Amino acid sequence: MRHAAQAQEPSSLRTVRKVVAMMDCEEFELRGLDLDRADADPQEAAAAAKHAEICGRCSAMLESWREVKCDLRLLRESTWLDSAPARVEMRLKQELRTRREARGPHRTAVIASGALAAAAVVVASLGWMQIHHKAEKSVAAESKIVATGDMLATSPNENENDVRLAADFDTGEFTQLPGSLSSGTGDESILQVRMQRGALERYGLPVDPERASELVDVDFLVGEDGQPLAVRLHQDTQIAAVTQ
Amino acid sequence: MKILDEKPDALLKRAVRGDEQAFLALYQKHQSALYRYALRMTGSQWAAEEVVQDVFLVLIREPQKYQAARGELGAFLYGVARNRVMKHLEKTPRELSLDVMNADGSAWYEPEDPLTPMMIAEKRERIEQVREAVLGLPAEFREAVVLCELEEMSYQEAASACGCPIGTIRSRLHRGRALLLAKLELLRDAPRRASAGAK
Repeated sequence: MRHAAQAQEPSSLRTVRKVVAMMDCEEFELRGLDLDRADADPQEAAAAAKHAEICGRCSAMLESWREVKCDLRLLRESTWLDSAPARVEMRLKQELRTRREARGPHRTAVIASGALAAAAVVVASLGWMQIHHKAEKSVAAESKIVATGDMLATSPNENENDVRLAADFDTGEFTQLPGSLSSGTGDESILQVRMQRGALERYGLPVDPERASELVDVDFLVGEDGQPLAVRLHQDTQIAAVTQ
Repeated sequence: MKILDEKPDALLKRAVRGDEQAFLALYQKHQSALYRYALRMTGSQWAAEEVVQDVFLVLIREPQKYQAARGELGAFLYGVARNRVMKHLEKTPRELSLDVMNADGSAWYEPEDPLTPMMIAEKRERIEQVREAVLGLPAEFREAVVLCELEEMSYQEAASACGCPIGTIRSRLHRGRALLLAKLELLRDAPRRASAGAK
């Protein structure tokens, strides 16, 4: 009958009974004082309470501990409102502000240096592009010179020998060709050509038909696009002579 | 959303960026417990003040030391406070500035229940005795008593704050309780039993 009742008991209850039965004074000293804790193991607490009921020594210890717990509670309550003085908060706020202020200029410096670096890259890129563009232009101008020489000269052999570029030009002696606009960018080049006087007629200049076959040395001011903008005859062959 | 409702990690991020309100929210949330812990461990208001200040300076200057994956911010702050407290105790192992605490009236919380002056005096004396007894415990046992009994932390929380296993905390608490019982019985000159744990 008793065995049948035990068999019907839940296993947890059987475990509690076992723990209660097994707890001795040594175990009570180790775990018994956790009896009143909120996070105490309920089985252990039950076992400790059971042991305290039957053991006078452990019961006295539990009573003493409960008194101490009361005193600890009084101590806790008496100091529960304790907190760090306001000066600690003030010091910490000051530290926070100091660090924030120190970080501001640092961030500005980082941004400024980044902007400078970006600007330097842009300038370098532009410089490289300009150099590259000039190099391409030189090649194009050389091609144009050849083409213009072919166009202007009556004899291909003469053009090949006489055409050359000059580094500078004197704007005072040039006569602007009809229909051309001065670019004024300073990127013009001077093209020196020996050609027949009659060929100047193609550029809108009047030419004496009788002297059309004469060879003259001519400076062409060539714009960026390779088109002649102005013309200049050399010493012995002035425009006036051309127009004769 | 109120600033106090924000998660500690979010508040810390804002505080690190210089948000004073976020920092103050964190400070207000944790400073009191840290101060009490340091005060009960050191027995010195000055030392407790320094500890709290140091803890939050670490948070301001080296926020990367806190890693959310390793635990809660509160446990991290307790850990920093614990290091500072232990350093302080190493330098001044038996510093008991109880007089200083008594001189400051703020430490005493006057209960609202009506008590006679005699009862108040008796209560005050008991509190002082237990305070003295706690301060007289060895540091590691004192810490377990302070965290588990005075701060009412669970074993898990106390273990997390101390950075040790739960079993260690329970063991230290057991020893601390036994020593505390023995000390108080001696102080009150009323041994109730043969002190078992303080053998």
